Amino acid sequence: MADTLQKTPPTAAPAAAKLEAPPAAARFRFLTDRWLAGLFISPALALLVFLSIWPLIRLIWLSFTDYSVTRDVPASFIGFENYADVLTSPVVRERALTTMIFVVGAVGLQTVLGFAIAFLISRRIKGRGALTTLFLIPMMLSPVVVGLFWKFMLDVQFGVVNSFLDSLGFGRVEWLTQQRLALLSLIVVDTWQWTPFIMLIALAGLTAVPKYLYEAAEIDRASEWFKFRRITFPLVWPLLLIAVMFRAIEAFRLFDLVYILTGGGPGGTTETLSFNVYKVAFFGFDTGRASAYGILMVIVVIIATNIYLRYLNRLQER
Amino acid sequence: MKGRLQVSAAIAVAAAALTVAACGGDDGGGGGDTTAAKDATSKLSDKPMELTFLWFEWPPAQALEELGKEYTKTRPNVTVKVNTVPNPQWHDAIFTQFAARKTNFDLPILDSQNIGEAVENGSILDLTDFVKENIDTSVYDPYFLAAYGQYPQNTTGQPEPDAKTYGLPLLGDTWSLIWRKDLMGEEPPATFEDMLAAAKKCQDENKGMSGLAFHQAGTGDAAAVTYNVVNALYGGELWDQKERKIEGIINNEAGHKAMDVLVNKMVPLAPKGSSNWFIDEVNAAISQGKVCVGMQWIAAMGGLLDPASSELGETREEILEKLAFAPIPPQETDKVPLGGMGLHVSRYIPEEKQAEALNFIKWFQTPEAQKKWAQLGGVPARNDVLSSPEFLETQPYNEVFTESVPRLKDFWNLPEYAKLLNVHSTQVNAAISGTQDPKAALDKLAADEQAILDESGE
Repeated sequence: MADTLQKTPPTAAPAAAKLEAPPAAARFRFLTDRWLAGLFISPALALLVFLSIWPLIRLIWLSFTDYSVTRDVPASFIGFENYADVLTSPVVRERALTTMIFVVGAVGLQTVLGFAIAFLISRRIKGRGALTTLFLIPMMLSPVVVGLFWKFMLDVQFGVVNSFLDSLGFGRVEWLTQQRLALLSLIVVDTWQWTPFIMLIALAGLTAVPKYLYEAAEIDRASEWFKFRRITFPLVWPLLLIAVMFRAIEAFRLFDLVYILTGGGPGGTTETLSFNVYKVAFFGFDTGRASAYGILMVIVVIIATNIYLRYLNRLQER
Repeated sequence: MKGRLQVSAAIAVAAAALTVAACGGDDGGGGGDTTAAKDATSKLSDKPMELTFLWFEWPPAQALEELGKEYTKTRPNVTVKVNTVPNPQWHDAIFTQFAARKTNFDLPILDSQNIGEAVENGSILDLTDFVKENIDTSVYDPYFLAAYGQYPQNTTGQPEPDAKTYGLPLLGDTWSLIWRKDLMGEEPPATFEDMLAAAKKCQDENKGMSGLAFHQAGTGDAAAVTYNVVNALYGGELWDQKERKIEGIINNEAGHKAMDVLVNKMVPLAPKGSSNWFIDEVNAAISQGKVCVGMQWIAAMGGLLDPASSELGETREEILEKLAFAPIPPQETDKVPLGGMGLHVSRYIPEEKQAEALNFIKWFQTPEAQKKWAQLGGVPARNDVLSSPEFLETQPYNEVFTESVPRLKDFWNLPEYAKLLNVHSTQVNAAISGTQDPKAALDKLAADEQAILDESGE
């Protein structure tokens, strides 16, 4: 004991036994956390590069050339000529206007109807799930199938809609062959198919509104309109705006319904920008010009989405 | 910091590599002239093989596949398959594969107007030597050879001795006039305007019926062909080939007269809302007894006599008691549209397939194969078969084609055809549907088409 006390305390901690990795781990010592992370994301990254980034870079390059995919002639660099052609084309301006009318009309109608349906469903206790599923059916169908059966239904001579109207004495209506009605028909068919999307998101928003807010309002004897205006709508609005953004982007690149229902007619008056890009790309295969056209459309979407998102963020900050 | 630098450098290298790859590419592709096919049939293989065609969905496509069984009897190792797409996708389905320089078809069936585009892009074989050595061209109307296979096509439609051949006729076609003889009498109208007057009288006398059904849609070549028919009948021309001039030619006095007849005399006789009609809708309107007169491609008329889809009678004979057929009546000229398609061989298939495809073409041009083709519902092109009982007695309207052969007139077959057609169809449809004034629509059509020609000639 005394011996022990007389000893001078150690000045440094005893050297720890050297830790040795098990044989398997030693073999992969070079695999640091950073490398491992890279390894795990590399398959997804490779897919992204080859399916999205590489085509995008090539698209950008082609947009500055006179390249045509069917001609055995190498691409020649022509600067911004394709962009200037697209931006100064009166046809593109007309198609942009048509697209704008379609986007505003279709998305506006879908928002009003989608929210109204969601609001009504949210107030119903019984059969809510079944009703929601029923309303979602149009969204699950292929746009080509939707276009085809609406085309048959709206046909002036052979369609069921006109037969019904005729039997009621209203006469037959040129849904798809009269300039203004054809665009309206596109809006109606798109609304039929995509209103459920807005409804679904609005329903999610409505379900998430805390019940205590309504209870507090009821204690204060607030009217239904007041509760809707001051509680329901402000809380659902940001979520609804996200749905509107998704739908607007989708509507902006509308192609399939136009292709099937009207073919861009009558006289090209229902041609949207996407349909026009298709024509530039595949009628004569002006690949360079079509690439520039496509890129300009992407730029428009990116700018519009950014402005929209800033507004959305400001709204949420309030 | 070092790590970040490494990542940035790696991304930069990858992006640079991608950019180089994207910009360099293989733009040149196969390059060069269209490969010439010559002594191909000597390379025939005995291995099992499927010979594939690409066409659009309509009755002749099924008839061709049926005819292929006859070919299999001569070449047991070969089966014939005809792949089809909807009519509006027909051009794209073929040319997007040409663009990829790899085709899943061996014999593309091209509209006569698409030859220029396929030849200029080097996508189909040059058959000039093959035809010289294997085909007796004297048995064809020269216009068929020019329209369905030669490029550049001569203005007159007569083949040039030095012209190159890229295809041979598969299916001849033109428009037939179909009218309700039970309502309008047996005699065909003497002129186009007589026909319009008779159609109007029939419309006025039969409540619920319209006078005339014809192609008006702005998609495909529907409205475009209709305008071209009327334009040609009134003495108009599509362009001046030598000067490469469209403006001032198509919209000259005859052209405007034709547009006026189309919009102000024909459209009022058409059923309401028919400005998007093409082949199927015209057939349906005739079969359902909704119109007095119709104008239709002969190769698409098979269904008209089918009692299963007709309200005009319960048997073929009953239907034939009501319907009569005749060539399109003349007006200032007697021109009628050339329809139909040629047989071509894809350049992007293996040599043994090319040999088999050429052997099929050689077989197809024999009188036996052409007669069988006629019996199955196809429209042959050999003169001897066109006047043979096998063709004339198969369908009551086949005689219309034989009579129309000397009157045929085609579109341009330039490489810019698809772009020109887009403008043509859109503007004619705009005039028909009332979205544009007829005169303004024709002038815009002329200006836009001239711009396309000028741009391609730069």
